[in-house]
Amino acid sequence: MCLGIPGKVTEVYGSDGLPMGMVEFGGVRREVCLAYVAEEVEPGDYVIVHVGFAISRVDEEEARRTFKLLEELSELDELEWMKEVAEQSLAGLEAPDPGAGRNRSGGNTP
Amino acid sequence: MSGTKLPDAGSLASRGMSCPVPAADGDRVLLGHGSGGKLSAALIRDRFLPRFSNPALAQLGDGAAVDLGTERMAISTDTFVVSPLEFPGGDIGLLAVHGTLNDVAMMGAEPVCLSTGFVLEEGLSLTLLDRVLESMAEAARQAGIPIVTGDTKVVERGKADGMFINTTGVGRLRDDFRPAPDRACPGDAVLVSGPIGRHGIAVMAVREGLGFEVDVESDTAHLGPLVENLYAACGAQVRTLRDPTRGGLASALNEIAATSGVAISLAGKVIPVPVPVAAACEVLGLDPLYVANEGVLVAIVAEEAAEAALKALRAHPTGGGAALIGEVREGPSGMVTLRTGLGGSRVVDMLPGDQLPRIC
Amino acid sequence: MKFLSEYRDPELATALVKRIRTLSTRRWTLMEVCGGQTHTIVKQGILDVLGDAVEMIHGPGCPVCVTPLEQIDRALHLAGRPDVIFTSFGDMLRVPGSECDLFQVRARGGEVQVVYSPLDALELARAHPDREVVFFAVGFETTAPANAMAVWQARELGIGNFSVLVSHVTVPPAMTAILESSDNRVQGFLAAGHVCTVMGWEEYEPIAESYRVPIVVTGFEPVDILEGIWMAIRQLEEGRSEVENQYARSVRRDGNRPARDIVSKVFELVDRQWRGIGEIPMSGLGLRDDFAAWDAEKKFDLQEIRATEPEECRAGDVLRGRIKPIECAAFGTTCTPENPLGAPMVSSEGACAAYWGYARYRGADAGGEEAAVKSTELRS
Repeated sequence: MCLGIPGKVTEVYGSDGLPMGMVEFGGVRREVCLAYVAEEVEPGDYVIVHVGFAISRVDEEEARRTFKLLEELSELDELEWMKEVAEQSLAGLEAPDPGAGRNRSGGNTP
Repeated sequence: MSGTKLPDAGSLASRGMSCPVPAADGDRVLLGHGSGGKLSAALIRDRFLPRFSNPALAQLGDGAAVDLGTERMAISTDTFVVSPLEFPGGDIGLLAVHGTLNDVAMMGAEPVCLSTGFVLEEGLSLTLLDRVLESMAEAARQAGIPIVTGDTKVVERGKADGMFINTTGVGRLRDDFRPAPDRACPGDAVLVSGPIGRHGIAVMAVREGLGFEVDVESDTAHLGPLVENLYAACGAQVRTLRDPTRGGLASALNEIAATSGVAISLAGKVIPVPVPVAAACEVLGLDPLYVANEGVLVAIVAEEAAEAALKALRAHPTGGGAALIGEVREGPSGMVTLRTGLGGSRVVDMLPGDQLPRIC
Repeated sequence: MKFLSEYRDPELATALVKRIRTLSTRRWTLMEVCGGQTHTIVKQGILDVLGDAVEMIHGPGCPVCVTPLEQIDRALHLAGRPDVIFTSFGDMLRVPGSECDLFQVRARGGEVQVVYSPLDALELARAHPDREVVFFAVGFETTAPANAMAVWQARELGIGNFSVLVSHVTVPPAMTAILESSDNRVQGFLAAGHVCTVMGWEEYEPIAESYRVPIVVTGFEPVDILEGIWMAIRQLEEGRSEVENQYARSVRRDGNRPARDIVSKVFELVDRQWRGIGEIPMSGLGLRDDFAAWDAEKKFDLQEIRATEPEECRAGDVLRGRIKPIECAAFGTTCTPENPLGAPMVSSEGACAAYWGYARYRGADAGGEEAAVKSTELRS
């Protein structure tokens, strides 16, 4: 219950007493009712749209923050892999396949 | 602690008046029967085939091969019922000419001529009719194929959605070029000639009253030149050709897999989908794999010919976006699977009927 | 697409899967409540990627699947009336009623139209003052603000030829009902990110506390779901049972206040039947008396329409996470996507439809005729 897609507000106007806007989703445009985000949204903002209604304004700061956390996770993996490669080559073993490095699951087996 | 106890489903109220529509289930033609999915296949298999049975028909290709003695003829027919009649990138006339020329080309045949039949609705604008006829004439001219005969009928207002057009194409089959839906073999490469989903989205945006504007035009095109390039480059190593119209890429590949008794495995990441098509599909909850195309072909070629085939497709403007998207495997027979961007797998099944916009 | 594509990044997904596997000291069992989350899990092959690390049970978060048979029959009745234009979201068209579905009603001459937004249905009413436009207002709390606004506007603009057939359900009572089942195996929940965008997560706090289950409000893209799973497992491993918010870019604790206000002005909590499950008290929304003139159940005579489920259909057990679809005797035999017995086989993210492709991939032959053989094989 579910299909909510992020889109960018390009215009804001009123229609039949309701705040409406044009929202752009990567090359697709549709009129969206902004009644539920009117206080906080202006052109350039992103909103989550469900059945023609904006149900939230995308908190870009939050998005950036959590995304950064995730990227750090991913980089940590890369660093770990590089460390393993270095250790193994020092030990005189063959370096593991670079392509496979990212997909190894490490640590305890559940 | 207090909470909700779930009652038996059986304790629900007893049966009273049910759906008031009288007739029994499944006695009517449904829209789904025309969608190119499972219902369509069942309709043909259960009602048409047993009555018309003959070996040429049993092949179930988009067209049939008929022996004329010294030569073999390819013949294909298609009826066009699109609404609205005009849409971004084309109109029903363009579809009617391209569509049938393409079906003939998919058999590896050289097209010779077209016939066309019209069912016009009383009240149809003559200016619109002129535009459609002009489109058809131009398309036929560009392909170098004459429309040699035709028929026109008019029906009462309300009975024909503006107009319906049937076109039948005749072509000359070549001995050394016989792509067919039952020829795919394990190890073969699966190629697509360009980005998918354009036609279906372009039409849906203007038809359903869903109120979307999209930067997408129908991809309707004559695929003959692409096929000639493939023939020149790979000849007999082209096993199967198919233009994935209604039901999209997924339905076409399912049919081929089933007819050839093989499985097809796709790499999701490399299937070309234009950004606005992907965006429209996201918003409406559609899967681009099932959206109709009118200017794209699928080619299954022997593994060793894959590179040459790709090059041959890309040499023509219509094939500029061609990509190698998968391979044919032993089995399970008829199964089409896809490796997702995450490295997981999913089955790409035939839909029962048309894909619908969803909210969930 | 911004704020979408980034959450499909395979490298991030891989990093999360690795964390999940490293973290789990045992195989935990989680439930994703929302059908849209199920859809992503199946469509993106997330179960493959997770392997044995976690068991995911698909929850009843499919408002299409849980719309009671009676309500479908009422919809079919209305759609068959010559004076009615029946409008609906696309999802509902193939859901089987007692005798047929909306597609078949259309085939027999009923006017049935798919709309993207409830406001489109209202527009249709304005454009056709001589016809009655009925809108099938189905959904969870996510869709309630939109449906509420359509009714609100109908009253504001004095559009009298518009009404809604309501089948709204709410999530927390369903979660409680699942947790109350004696055979419940769910140890943690991924709550529905868009439901919570509207409602916030306040009402989940007492559930987490009483039943001692972690609840993570989660989005819908692969990275969201994997991060949500990771957060839930982290809680389980640490012995915590709190509500956490993975979908912070859209969800706040008190949700969307203006939306909740309109919803409470237009709707009130009522007892609701959940198809295949039965009645869950105060788990649904119904139109308030102020809006009776736009309530299709009051406007049209629908009281006599009653229904019972086909006995073979075990949708209820599937929706509660008691059985997997392939454990149902009808799966693949009498119940297929072309001839569904219940909604979870029809709805694109219904658990049974999701398993239809998945189970076949897991090792059996294609083709409906062989379904009987394969479903036996898969069960043994």
